[in-house]
Amino acid sequence: MKVFESNCTFNYSWEDVSLANWRKYCAWNTKSTHVIAVDTLSRSVDPETGILITERLITCKQAAPRWLKAIFGTEESYVREISYVDPVAKTVTMKSMNLTLNNLLNVQETVQYVPDPECPAKRTLFKQDAKITAYGAFTRLRNAIEDFSVDRFHQNAIKGREGFEAVLQMSQKAFKELREGTIQEATMQTA
Amino acid sequence: MSSSLAPECSEVKERYDQCFIKWYSEKYLRGEAKTDDCKKLFDIYKECLSKAMKAKGIDTMLAEARKNSKDLDMDIGQSR
Repeated sequence: MKVFESNCTFNYSWEDVSLANWRKYCAWNTKSTHVIAVDTLSRSVDPETGILITERLITCKQAAPRWLKAIFGTEESYVREISYVDPVAKTVTMKSMNLTLNNLLNVQETVQYVPDPECPAKRTLFKQDAKITAYGAFTRLRNAIEDFSVDRFHQNAIKGREGFEAVLQMSQKAFKELREGTIQEATMQTA
Repeated sequence: MSSSLAPECSEVKERYDQCFIKWYSEKYLRGEAKTDDCKKLFDIYKECLSKAMKAKGIDTMLAEARKNSKDLDMDIGQSR
């Protein structure tokens, strides 16, 4: 098993980040091109805790080197993600696991967004870790697959962060315009 | 918003996603979510998606994953 970890800070409030997170893979994100679709499978609010639980299916398509394609034989893959938003504690926790080829490779990812304790109103911490385990009889092959996956995870994490920054920026702009538009409309109505 | 794995569901998905984002930002984050405003739209989207997932064989894959990860899901759900 190999572990991939990454942390970063976004200069936006937890509310803004948690909202934009639902749009992380929209057209504004031109970097994470490996994610081709995101579908919501189920969604509910826990009546006791108020936690929003969402189950999503993420469709990915990414070119693989020939040696890996020979083993995996597919380019399109599916990931199941369960996320928990706690609006009181202000946490977003997302757990995901690959559905495709899980007899060969198991990838378990955890992502968390929490307000930065040093500046909770304006900054959000992002924590990501992935446990990657390849199965098979040959140690060298298992290691090669795990190393490749960690490397791929690293590249996708960098692109994901850049892409998400763009989404955050666009979201804020869109909301600002929407707010100003509403105010303008209201002023026009009263005028 | 992002596309659906089934192009024929993209339009109904878009309508649901828009509704959800509005509900999430204007009600849920403010602690005012008393009702599920988007249920109707979700049901339409879900019906479309279920057909597509069945045709692609994703439904069985998903059922298996749900069965195997039940404990894990519950762990997180009760973490608070």
